[in-house]
Amino acid sequence: MAMFVAKRLLMALATVLVVAVLAFLLVHAMPGSPGAVSLGAGASQEAIEELNQRLGWNDPLFVQFFRWLGDAVQGNFGASLIDGRSVSADLASRLPVTASLAAGTTVLSAILGIALGVTAAVRGGLLDRILGGFVGLLVALPPFWIGIIFVYLFAVQSSVFPATGYVPFEVSPQDWALSLALPIITLAVGAAAFLARQTRASMLEALQQEHIRTLRATATPTWKILYIHALRYASLPIVAGIALQFMGLFGGSVIAEQLFAMPGLGQAVQASVSTHDAPAVQGVVVIATIVVVAVNLLLELATKFLDPKLRAS
Amino acid sequence: MIPSIAPTAAPRKTALAKFSGHRLLTSPGGLAGTVWLAALVLASLTAPLWLPYKTEDQDFTAVLSGPSVVHWLGTDELGRDLLSRIFSSAAETLGTSLITAVVGVGLGTILAMAAAASFRAEGIISRITEIMMSLPGTVIMLAVIGAVGINIPLIMAILGVLISSGIYRVMLGQAKSLQSQLYVDAAKVDGVGPLGIGLRHVLPGLANTIVVQSALIFAVGMLIQAGLAFIGFGPPLPKPSWGGMIQSASQHVYDAPWLMVPTGAVLALTVLSANAIGNALGKAPNATASHLPSAAIRRKRAADAAASAAAAPAGDNLPAAGQLSVRGLSVGVDGGTPLVTDVTFDVAPGTVLGLVGESGCGKTMTALSLLGLLPSGVSVSAGQILWNGKNLASATEKDLEGIRGRDIALISQEPMRALDPMFTVGYQLTAAVRRLGRAGKAEARAEALSLLEKVGIVDARRILRSYPHQISGGMAQRVAIALALSGKPRLLVADEPTTALDVTVQAEILSLLRSLVKDTGMSVVMVTHDLGVVADICDNVAVMYAGQVVESGRTASILDNPRHPYTLALLAADPHANTAHDMPERLATIKGQVPQPKDWPAGCRFAARCQFAGSACTIPVPLLPSGSEDGEVRCVKADELAVEGLEWVATDVPTHRVLEIVEKDMA
Repeated sequence: MAMFVAKRLLMALATVLVVAVLAFLLVHAMPGSPGAVSLGAGASQEAIEELNQRLGWNDPLFVQFFRWLGDAVQGNFGASLIDGRSVSADLASRLPVTASLAAGTTVLSAILGIALGVTAAVRGGLLDRILGGFVGLLVALPPFWIGIIFVYLFAVQSSVFPATGYVPFEVSPQDWALSLALPIITLAVGAAAFLARQTRASMLEALQQEHIRTLRATATPTWKILYIHALRYASLPIVAGIALQFMGLFGGSVIAEQLFAMPGLGQAVQASVSTHDAPAVQGVVVIATIVVVAVNLLLELATKFLDPKLRAS
Repeated sequence: MIPSIAPTAAPRKTALAKFSGHRLLTSPGGLAGTVWLAALVLASLTAPLWLPYKTEDQDFTAVLSGPSVVHWLGTDELGRDLLSRIFSSAAETLGTSLITAVVGVGLGTILAMAAAASFRAEGIISRITEIMMSLPGTVIMLAVIGAVGINIPLIMAILGVLISSGIYRVMLGQAKSLQSQLYVDAAKVDGVGPLGIGLRHVLPGLANTIVVQSALIFAVGMLIQAGLAFIGFGPPLPKPSWGGMIQSASQHVYDAPWLMVPTGAVLALTVLSANAIGNALGKAPNATASHLPSAAIRRKRAADAAASAAAAPAGDNLPAAGQLSVRGLSVGVDGGTPLVTDVTFDVAPGTVLGLVGESGCGKTMTALSLLGLLPSGVSVSAGQILWNGKNLASATEKDLEGIRGRDIALISQEPMRALDPMFTVGYQLTAAVRRLGRAGKAEARAEALSLLEKVGIVDARRILRSYPHQISGGMAQRVAIALALSGKPRLLVADEPTTALDVTVQAEILSLLRSLVKDTGMSVVMVTHDLGVVADICDNVAVMYAGQVVESGRTASILDNPRHPYTLALLAADPHANTAHDMPERLATIKGQVPQPKDWPAGCRFAARCQFAGSACTIPVPLLPSGSEDGEVRCVKADELAVEGLEWVATDVPTHRVLEIVEKDMA
C-alpha cells in the first residue's frame, strides 16, 4: 500500500513538473515581451527594453525556467504584469471561490445524478424513456445558455437569488450561500445529466451480472439487491464520473465565473490570457494542475478502497 | 462431451457497416439528427443564395425585435437579422468542430491500435494518456490560446489532442480483444505485418465505435467552441459565431429575452442531433438481458400472472408434496420467438432428473423457469409448473420469493460469477442463512460455518473472510452449493454445475451432490451436456433438442437402449460413453448445429441433422411411449430403428443407407 502511494505520488509530481515546463514554454510563446505587456501600447522602446532586462527576459531560457521554478516551489509565482500584485496572493484569494463552486456543484450533481440514474435504471419503461430524453436535452444545452436562463428566471423575473457577484463566507455565510446558488445550479445541470447517464448505464450493467440471479435465487429482497448489491457494484464507475466532474470544474468553471462575475480561478485564466499576463497564466496553470492531480490521486485511492480485488493486491 | 460447432466467423466489414447504417435510419432519433445536420450544412453552404440579409446588414427600424414577417427569428442589438447570422456561421462551426472529432478520435484510435499490437507500446501510451487525463483541460486550452492567439482550427485540433486520451481508453479494450482473436493469430502466422493486421482486422472491428465516438466528440467540440466564443475567445468581432451571439444576447436578457432563444435552440438542436446519431449507432444490438427486470416489467408480469391464474386455476390432479410436475411448459421471448415448447416432466422427491442436450436447446431456460428467474424479456408463455399445490408458472413475484431458496434453490454454471465480487463469502452466506433460516446474527454465523464444512471446505473460517476472487473455482462452487443449501430446499436446480471446473474438481463436486441427495432427500434437476454426469448421478433423463423433449425415461434404459436418433448421436459422439474395449476408431459427430428458434421446422426439428431422416419426418412428431418402462420418445422411426438395430455411424452418412430408408419410407 505504502509502495503504491509512493509510486503514485512520484507520478503526480512528474505530471506537475511536465505541466510546469509546458506552461513556461507556452507563456514564452505568447506574443509580446513582458515589458511591452506591462507598460502598455504607449511605452517607448527603451522603457520596454529596460523592463525586459530587469525581469530577466533576455537571459537564456533554462536560466529563466529554473529561476521561475525555484520561486514557484516556494509558492512565489511572481508579480502580475498588469497591476503588479502578487500572483500567489491573488490565486490564494481565488481558490476558495472556485473550490466552493466545484464542491457545491459536485455534491448537488452527484445527489441529483445518482437519484435520476438509479430511478431510470430501476423503474424502466416509460419513466426511463422520459428521463432519458430529458437528460439528453440537458446534456445538449450549453451551460452558459442555461445560466442566462436561470438569471432571467430567478434574478430578473423574481429576485430569489442575486444575479451576479460573490460574497465571501467570512463576510456573511448566508449571502455566501445565496451568491453561490445560481452558479452552482447552472453548472450542476450538465454535470447531473452526465452522472445520471453514467449511473443508469452502470446500474444496468450491474443488474446483468450473474450474481444478481444468485441473490434472487436466495430470496434477497428487491430493494436490497438494487440498493446494496447492484449500487455497490456500480459504485466504481459512478465515483470515477463524480471525480471527473470535479476535476473538470477546476478551470472548467470559467464560463460560470464569467457569467456570474465570480472572482475564481477560471476568471483568472480568462483575464490573464486576454491580457497576456505571463506570470498569472503560469501560476494558474500550475495551481489548477496541482489540484486536479491531487483529486486524481484521491480517486485512485478511493477506487482501490472500493474494489476488493484491488484492495487485496 | 458433445461436440458443438461454435460460430467462429469474424464480423465482416461490409455487414457491420450495413447494419450500422440501417440502425441509424431506423432509429427515429438517429434519422431526425441526420436530417437536421444535413439540412443545416446544406442551408449554411448555400446561405449567400437564399438568405434575405447579409450578416452585417443593420436594420435600425427593428433593433432587438422579436420574430416578425421581415425578420423571421428577430434581430440583435444592431438590428442584424438573426436567421442570416445563425445560418451563415453554421458551416464554419460544424467544420471546425469536426476537426476536434477527427483529431481526437483519429489519434485515440491510432494510439489504441498501437497499444493493442505491442505490450511495450501499451505501457508507454497508457502512462502518457494517464498524465494527459489528469490535466486541467480547460486551463491548458486557454493557455494555448494565449500563446497562439485565436486560431480556431488550431485550437479545435489541440482540443482533439487533449480528448484523444479519453478516446484511447474507450478503444483500448476493444482493440485488444480484436487483436487477440484467433484469426489475427492466424494472419500473423501467415506473415501479415502489424500494420496489415491493424488495417485489415482491427480497424474494421473498431469502425462502429469510431463513428459513435466521432459523433459524440463532434457535439462536445461544438459546445466547447461556443463556450470559448462566449467568454470572448471566438472569431474576431463583426464575424458571427453562435457562442458570441449568445454572449451578446446575454447582455440584453433584461430588455430582450427573446434574443436568447433562436441561437440557443439551434445550438442545442445541433448538439442533440450529433448525440442522437451517436446513440443510435452506439446502441448494443443484443445487450445481455438483465437478471432483475425493471419495475415496469415486473408490474406487467404481476398483472399477467394474476390474469392467467384467474383464468386457469391449477388442476385437480395436483402432484404430491415435494414432487415437481412440469406440464406442457413453453418459454419464449416476449411477443415472439419460442425458446422452449411443450416440455413435460416429473421429478419425484429424492430423485435426480438430468436435462441433457447441446447448447441452445432450451435446457437452461427450462431450469430457470422453475424458479421464475428467466432473464428480462423472456417469459413462460404456456403450461404449468406444479409444486406444492401452486402453479409456479403463474405465481406472483411475492409467492416466488417465498419459494426461492426455501423450497427450490439454484446453483449455476460459473461459480465465480455467481457470487457477488464486492462482498465477502461470509457476508453473502450469513445474509442468506439469516433470511432463509430466520436466524439471529450469531446463530447464522455458526450455521454458515457448518454449511461450509458440510460441503467439504476444510478451512471454513478463512473462506468466510475471503472475497470470491480470492478462492478457486471449485471452492467457489462449493460456496455456491452451501448458499443454495442455506434455506434447506427440497429441490435443487443445478445449471451445468461442473462445466466450468477442472475435471478432477468436477468429480468431487458430483460426489458432493450425490451425497447431499442421499443425506437430505432433496431432489435435483441437473442441466448438463455431459452424458458422463448423467450416468453418474441422474435417476431419470430428459433429452432436449431445439426446445423440445425428444426422449425421456430412466437413465439406465436411455443409456443402454436409446431410441431417439439424437440420443444415439449424443452417445456415439461422447468419448466417455464409449468404453475402452468398444472405442470406435473414429468418434461420431453430428453434422451442423442446433437450429435457431426462428428456423425450427414444423416437422421433426432434428431431421436436418439426422442420419435416418425421411419424408415422414416433415410433419409434427408427438411424444409417444417408447415401450421401455415409462420412457417416451419423439421420433416416427423409433420402432423401426429399434427393430433394425441401427446405430449412429462415425463417418459421413453412406448415401446408400439414406436411400434405402427413404425408399422404404415411400413404399
